[in-house]
Amino acid sequence: MMETVIEVRDLVNSFGDQVVHDGLCLDVRRDEILGVVGGSGSGKSVLLRSILGLQKPKSGTITVLGQKIEYHQPGPSRCWGVLFQAGALLSGLTVQQNVELPIALHSDMPVETRHELASLKLLMVGLSLSVADKYPSELSGGMKKRVSLARALALEPKILFLDEPTAGLDPIGATAFDELITYLQGNLDLTVVMITHDVDSLFNTCHRIAVLVDGKVKIGTVEEILQSDHPWIKSYFGVPRAQRARLAI
Amino acid sequence: MNNAFLSIESHPDSLIVNVKGQWIFDEVLALEEAVAGVLPEPGQKVTFKCAGLDNIDIAGAWVLYDCTEQLSVLEIESELVGFKAAHFKFLQHIIDVAAIREYEEPDSEPEPRHLIREKVELFGGAMSTHIEDLGAIARSILDGVRRPSLIIIGETIKQVYYTGVQAIPVVVVITFLIGIVTAHQAAGQLEKFGATVLVVDLVSISITREMGVLLAAVMVAGRSGSAFAASLGVMKLNEEVDAMRVLGLNPNQMLVIPRILGLVIALPVLTIFADIAGIAGGALIAVGSLGISGLQFVERVAFSTDLSDFYVGLVKAPVFALLIAMIGTLRGMQVRFSAEELGLKTTMAVVQSIFMIIVADALFATLFTRMGI
Repeated sequence: MMETVIEVRDLVNSFGDQVVHDGLCLDVRRDEILGVVGGSGSGKSVLLRSILGLQKPKSGTITVLGQKIEYHQPGPSRCWGVLFQAGALLSGLTVQQNVELPIALHSDMPVETRHELASLKLLMVGLSLSVADKYPSELSGGMKKRVSLARALALEPKILFLDEPTAGLDPIGATAFDELITYLQGNLDLTVVMITHDVDSLFNTCHRIAVLVDGKVKIGTVEEILQSDHPWIKSYFGVPRAQRARLAI
Repeated sequence: MNNAFLSIESHPDSLIVNVKGQWIFDEVLALEEAVAGVLPEPGQKVTFKCAGLDNIDIAGAWVLYDCTEQLSVLEIESELVGFKAAHFKFLQHIIDVAAIREYEEPDSEPEPRHLIREKVELFGGAMSTHIEDLGAIARSILDGVRRPSLIIIGETIKQVYYTGVQAIPVVVVITFLIGIVTAHQAAGQLEKFGATVLVVDLVSISITREMGVLLAAVMVAGRSGSAFAASLGVMKLNEEVDAMRVLGLNPNQMLVIPRILGLVIALPVLTIFADIAGIAGGALIAVGSLGISGLQFVERVAFSTDLSDFYVGLVKAPVFALLIAMIGTLRGMQVRFSAEELGLKTTMAVVQSIFMIIVADALFATLFTRMGI
């Protein structure tokens, strides 16, 4: 149960004089939902991009499912799915084609099977099949996120990365999305790494929380993090909206 | 029948299918073939047993589920027995999701009559937006002329720099080379008549009347027409244009007018550079390999080429500039939805502006011939 799927060791990232990560270490366990929080500019996205091999770190090693990540080298793309913040759906393709594309590129299954599997994924994320022939520009923000999630799940990934999945959604949509993530994680044996600023999702969805402070990571369960006396963590969870969210659980 | 995924035992009233191995995404093709081999006799009941199943995921579970569905269409009973909880979870998930799916009705095909009407409506809509866009631009030109603001003047100067000053090197080089080519080709023919000196006439007249302005315009259409369409298109996609509108700024006035004005200023100047470079290219060949002296060349140019030839070329430049800038900005503003559309509109901008330049040039040629210039 304590198997580590992502291992980040001594990661250093800096832009000019600004040091973002200063010897950051992070372990992500199998089948957990890990929430990543941190102030603006604390390097949440940089961490995600480093893990995905989209950014070259100054130094440090990153291993995902036992495979070392190299900048711009094909990583274990079959084993992970990514939900980008704005969805990043291919705007020239329909919803159905967006979800089918990774399946078509990574397997030789016949068109009907591919089509069926893609439809299945759309239903799994709670979309109606009537959206299948629409283009991303015709969808609402919440639907785009769901389609993007369906695309991330297309290849049966073991790890799911979510970059601010509930940002830009109304509270009802955000709660529904959180429930969907929890449901899928439970049903599909997923490990989820989720960057979020939504304190409700942190408390309700995440098993552990990684806080990026001072270029390093403080990681623990919600309770452990709440007991930390780091000034930034204290003020983060001390603001009224975080207090309310905490009381709600 | 046995393989890596199934082993089948047939009994008089039942068919036992032992599911084993890796039922995962990568094996879907093989799984489907294996499942196609499950052929029960009428009256047999099919039991899927999870004997040695190592791994199953959604794709594998779907193949299994699909098989039971197809059996039920044939009115053959089937059941799933002995699955481990971790494995059955996936099957249950598929069954749940499939239940939602059955609930949904497929869309009915639109009738062809409606299709034609839709096409007509689409065409009409497109035409009316074209006219609307053109009207909006024309109106903002009037507004801009009536109330010129400092921002627009600054932006116009910037556009003159981007579309004009930065284009000088490439325009000079290509017209210089075309001058050389023209001189060479002309020399080959005219030498036969012993009229080598007429090369100078040919080069200077063709460059000033036609080639200079045409080459500059085509180059600018490729450089700036595409840049206009692409930059305005991205601004449309990023909602920057909408933001301007909400701030009470007229995007046509802020974005379109400076580009049109900038190009109308830049292209005539580029044409003058092009003319000079083209004649210089001709001079290089005339002096270098045809034995015409520098003084003779200058004399011949002055004798053969009127100032009117030069004007005939120059007067076309602002018209070409207007065409390039109008088409480029209009196409850019028409980008609405996708990155693909951006590429499409940018291509249209370049192709259509070059096409219109040539059409306009043909009209000018006819007009000037009639006028006897």
